[in-house]
Amino acid sequence: MKTQLTITKREFGFNRAKKNDLTTNSLPKKLMITGLKRTLILISIFFMGALVSNNLYAQAGASASKETTVKGMVSDDSGPILGANITLKGTKVGTSTDKDGAFIFPKALTPGDILVFSYLGYETQEVKIEENTTFINLVLTTDLIEIMGAVNADTPYKSKR
Amino acid sequence: MPKIITYLIVVIFACQSNAQISDFGAINFKKADSIALACKTDDASNLPYLSHKLTSNLTTDVEQFRAIYMWVCGNIENDYSLYLKNSRKRQKFQNDSAKLNDWNTRFNKVLFRKLLKHEKTICTGYAYLVKELSRLANINCEIVHGFGRTSTINIDRLNNPNHSWNAVQLNDKWYLCDPTWASGIPNPKTFQFKFQYNDGFFLADPQLFAVNHHPIDEKWFLLEEHQRPTFNEFIEAPVIYGKAYKNLSTHSAPKKMHNIITRNEKVIFKYQLLKPISTDQVSLKIDNGFRDRKTKPTSTVIKGKSLTLEYRFEETGFYDVHLLIGDDLISTYTFKVKG
Repeated sequence: MKTQLTITKREFGFNRAKKNDLTTNSLPKKLMITGLKRTLILISIFFMGALVSNNLYAQAGASASKETTVKGMVSDDSGPILGANITLKGTKVGTSTDKDGAFIFPKALTPGDILVFSYLGYETQEVKIEENTTFINLVLTTDLIEIMGAVNADTPYKSKR
Repeated sequence: MPKIITYLIVVIFACQSNAQISDFGAINFKKADSIALACKTDDASNLPYLSHKLTSNLTTDVEQFRAIYMWVCGNIENDYSLYLKNSRKRQKFQNDSAKLNDWNTRFNKVLFRKLLKHEKTICTGYAYLVKELSRLANINCEIVHGFGRTSTINIDRLNNPNHSWNAVQLNDKWYLCDPTWASGIPNPKTFQFKFQYNDGFFLADPQLFAVNHHPIDEKWFLLEEHQRPTFNEFIEAPVIYGKAYKNLSTHSAPKKMHNIITRNEKVIFKYQLLKPISTDQVSLKIDNGFRDRKTKPTSTVIKGKSLTLEYRFEETGFYDVHLLIGDDLISTYTFKVKG
């Protein structure tokens, strides 16, 4: 079945080329068309690229695309946290807060992206980026753990006699 | 000569399989271990980044968990003075929950600052890091609190939980591991921590684990109810050492550390081995209080992976008896031999 299909396709292509052949000197024209197509594609790629990269510098909430730059502040009950980590879930992309607890996420985010906020000793929190998220004000809660520790030993047991 | 080679091959292969780890027999941890090693310069200041770096190039959960576990074991130091400080305070406030809570809150800050700045911690810090890094890699991992027992712990004062370790869920099954004890041993005299990785604590056999780990929440024994030792049985159990985890999957007899027997009575020792060994590797070191001597059991029987020893004391006295497999110190018992 398969082979048959291919054959018909080929025949069809052949026929069409023949028709074109009869009307005009089709070969250069065909080349011209493909060339035009290629430039068109290249131009559109360029524009798409320009649009995307432009957005990186664009103000938050640019409506043309859904990508936004997210800023925010991280604190705990006693004030801003310096050095809290903010990472885009599932990637290495991230940043950390300055001495005022502030951060600007280095990559433009789209709705549905998840930012992971973590700081050693605090509960890790995830924040999902919504359509209108531009500023995240997050209060981390301390991850209070019961602390204990027995150290291992390989000194042979010795009875007290 | 060919015999020796076969023997060596058997030993080498057997060494690779460790009790529960045998569930993952087809998996080679070389890649995970080398990734953990490559991240040696990273620190615990950015856990999401670290977790991603450790796990993103590994496909299975067990390999990802392995990389996390190896990183923690190889990079975090056990802080002996911090441990002493905490255990003193906990002992002091054991009957005053308000003060204990207050201490714990304050100590939390100290612990995390130490971990961040000096990569030093005590058990809970290890368990916490393993848990957090695993969670960030979408691996279900829990901290287990309970009682841990070593040769230097005074069991008369073991009335409060003193140790933390991890339970991890891989392919819908829970496993146990103890990153603190796996990472190395601090010298109790110099406080100097020595990294000395012991692979036996990675996905260890729950039966052996229960000999010196007693969780507060009983479900973390990962044993059927009838297999779970009571707290008394745990306190009375023999001391087992880190090397036991390299050699055994189960410790069956004697059930007690301190035994009273009569002269010429037959004492039976029973174990399940992780790998086949030869009878001449097994010896007992017996200390009568004046001197110790290395001796052979009266009989040593190895059937597959089960090891049974017998010994008869011909003289009355009080003896510390240590089991050795090769040079590995496995366990200790005492025998009071009456006439």
